[in-house]
Amino acid sequence: MPAEEMGQISRRLRLTFAVTSVLFVVALAISPVRDLLSEWKHYKRAYVRFAQTRPDTKRLLADYRPQIDQIWIPDLGVVDRCTTCHQGITQASLLDPAVPQPFRAHPPIPHPALQWGCTACHRGQGAATEVTEAHETTLAWEQPLLPVHFIQASCGTCHRADLRETPQLDRGRALLVQLNCVGCHRLRDVERPEMLGPDLTNVGTKVSRQWIYKWLKEPRSVTDANGNVTVNGYETEDTPRMPQFRLKEQELRDLSGYLSTLQSKPAQPYHFDARAPAAPGKGSDPADQGELRFRQMFCSTCHSLSVTRAGTTSLIGGDIGPELTKVGSKVNPDWLIAWLRNPQAYLPHSKMPRYQWSDADLYDVTQYITKRLTDPDLLAGVPSLGAPTADEIQRGRRLFVDKGCASCHVLEGMPSQRDLGPDLSAVGAKDVSQLSFGESRIPRNLIAYLQAKITDPLSVNPAARMPVYHLSSDDLDALTTALLSMTGAPATAGLQKLVVSRSQESFHPAGEFGRVYERYKCYVCHQFNSFGGTLAPDLSYEGSRAQRQWLTDFLKDPKTVRPTLVLRMPQFNMTDQEAATLAAYIGTVLNSPDVDPSAIDTKQFTPERAALGKQLYEVKYECQSCHTIGASGGYVGPNLNNAGNWLTPAWIEAWLRNPQKLVPDTIEPRRAFTNDEIQALTAYLLTLRASGKPQGSAQVARITEESLKGERLP
Amino acid sequence: MKRCVVLLLLALLVAGFASGCKAKRHAVAADPLRQAYDSEADWNDAQRVIPLTYDQAQGKRIFYLQCVWCHADSTPAGPSNRSNLKPMPVLMNDGTVLNRESDDYLESIIALGGSAVSKSAMMPPYRQTLTQQEIQQVVAYTRAIAQPAYQTPARPEPKYTTR
Repeated sequence: MPAEEMGQISRRLRLTFAVTSVLFVVALAISPVRDLLSEWKHYKRAYVRFAQTRPDTKRLLADYRPQIDQIWIPDLGVVDRCTTCHQGITQASLLDPAVPQPFRAHPPIPHPALQWGCTACHRGQGAATEVTEAHETTLAWEQPLLPVHFIQASCGTCHRADLRETPQLDRGRALLVQLNCVGCHRLRDVERPEMLGPDLTNVGTKVSRQWIYKWLKEPRSVTDANGNVTVNGYETEDTPRMPQFRLKEQELRDLSGYLSTLQSKPAQPYHFDARAPAAPGKGSDPADQGELRFRQMFCSTCHSLSVTRAGTTSLIGGDIGPELTKVGSKVNPDWLIAWLRNPQAYLPHSKMPRYQWSDADLYDVTQYITKRLTDPDLLAGVPSLGAPTADEIQRGRRLFVDKGCASCHVLEGMPSQRDLGPDLSAVGAKDVSQLSFGESRIPRNLIAYLQAKITDPLSVNPAARMPVYHLSSDDLDALTTALLSMTGAPATAGLQKLVVSRSQESFHPAGEFGRVYERYKCYVCHQFNSFGGTLAPDLSYEGSRAQRQWLTDFLKDPKTVRPTLVLRMPQFNMTDQEAATLAAYIGTVLNSPDVDPSAIDTKQFTPERAALGKQLYEVKYECQSCHTIGASGGYVGPNLNNAGNWLTPAWIEAWLRNPQKLVPDTIEPRRAFTNDEIQALTAYLLTLRASGKPQGSAQVARITEESLKGERLP
Repeated sequence: MKRCVVLLLLALLVAGFASGCKAKRHAVAADPLRQAYDSEADWNDAQRVIPLTYDQAQGKRIFYLQCVWCHADSTPAGPSNRSNLKPMPVLMNDGTVLNRESDDYLESIIALGGSAVSKSAMMPPYRQTLTQQEIQQVVAYTRAIAQPAYQTPARPEPKYTTR
């Protein structure tokens, strides 16, 4: 290199240096520019522009900061930056659905967003600052936003007890129990009941092999081309409990063959009192008499029958017991009589009460069931099967185990197969990467997976043993909501403290009352201290409500006080002794702390008071719009024809003061009655008596005297 | 070699901008009913399903608990008490009657009862049974199911201006 050129930079090098410098500066600028153009800043600026178009700009921008906003609640494990973009979330004036997202306000709920965070209910990623990452599943973030249609699942993660505000979740939880999901799966807060499916130890004495074959093939339900579920060919909205298993022809033969041999205790024919069958009531057919008794006893409260009226066929009756339209062609008549006389002898945990039968009634009702509730074509299409061969029996027994029948059905000498399916107690918190979608083309998210699994298990797992369920779309969504609410143990101690647990206390009193209570299965329909069914009134405070004599009469011959009800209390034909035992226990034990009979002075119920009460009832408050007295009035509340014999004065006063305090979900609105008005109305109601009722205790008799005077008034 | 460096830097630059200016992708368009909190079939046309917001859905729950017995022609328990009453209560979806009444008026008739607004005393007051918020939710539900559809009134002109 010549000396004069030393220290000089070539032109080319200069150019390179200049270009790289520019490039370097530009490269350094990338990061600030990206930051300036980031999504959240876009929404920050958009909110300011949006607020300026609103009349209350000043209020909308009062809390505005140009930075990232964050809700931090260490106790709940919440770090939510959602409010960075969702800036109007607490602004009442932005509630209108016309306000564009992400600026719309959150509807006011019991848990305000700023105190509870967003992800606790909505899921998604609280710390993300991009729309996609916050809301959807990405490679780095697994938990997508919960669609608002299933949001009640989040209520259920802490509120394990049912809430009025979450009907969809409650329905889903009820379905989990009703569909016997707990037979194969472990679920949170659903305990395994004593009996899921019927005990099959003696099933061969009850039904024929042909019937078992048909039942296994189409367990009562068939879905037609329009997707309507039918029961024995009749359309219904109820989902049958026994689901459809995918059984092949040979499997049907084997399993039905095996089950038909299960006859450890053959049904003994019952010998009727010689007079019963020979004395047909009023010369008519015993089956007609039986039908009448069947109706009078209100068997339809638990069992439905298909009825065709004006060309449309529908099931009428309750769903606690099986549907009975064709039961006469199903069961062995000897078994039927033995069953009616003592259901618990065949199924120890059956919900069916043990009725008090007279021989004549039993004969007539069984005649009705076996002669009228029949269908000669019930077993049409079933091949003639004959007696099962030893091979069939052996294969059937193996199938019984392979298919997991013993997870729901009890069979003597066969171990129970609980937990056959996967544990679902934390299924709602599963990440997408933990799910196997197989060959299916459904969207890759938990909700689509759960719904595919329920409606068509084979679509996601060709080897699935799970049977097929035909659910309406509402029920499917409800069930999905309930499953999504099962997210396992709470993530933090703060969340654990918030859990409202589900009460699982049972009510099985001892003594004579306990015996009668178990015999007539009162708890299948009635609630006692939040244990029992919900079909009939809660009886926890019945002792404060009803007079003892009325209770005894009602138990002997239940007459509804609500004329519009289709499902009514069955007639148990209980003895005087049993009715007295129940009434005495209810009267002394099942009392409300808010009703104090000693505070009632019966002298205050004067005829003048009653006359004033009548005026209040008919003119000022128009109670007749909902309650019937005599032949006129509304059908919303109970009829009050016999209120004076039925209700205790203390209950009426407490009820008028605040009905919701006694029955929290009653629809009777709470009124602002004055004390005088309450006394007057009570005095009037106590004068209402249906004639011909025997009077009981001294107290009742005393009130009668008072009220009779009232009735003489013009 | 230098050209390579230049090209590499250029490529970096482009890549940097490309990731910075990523097009705004949006959540997949889903079924509108799935987006809704709850839904209700139009009373006159079961095929038309109306999506409900949270408030409207709470109103629907309260309606089916308290109001349905007299303000609809069929109830969860079967027959309705409506035809039994004189004057006959208005159907809850009857837009021809309810659309012209303001939210405030409907809220007060529910809270204070029929007699407070010179209507039939058969309509009881719900002030002590339902909260103010619950009453507003019932009104929101009424508006959602109204036939003909309810139009939110335009914002009234302010009476006083700063000018």
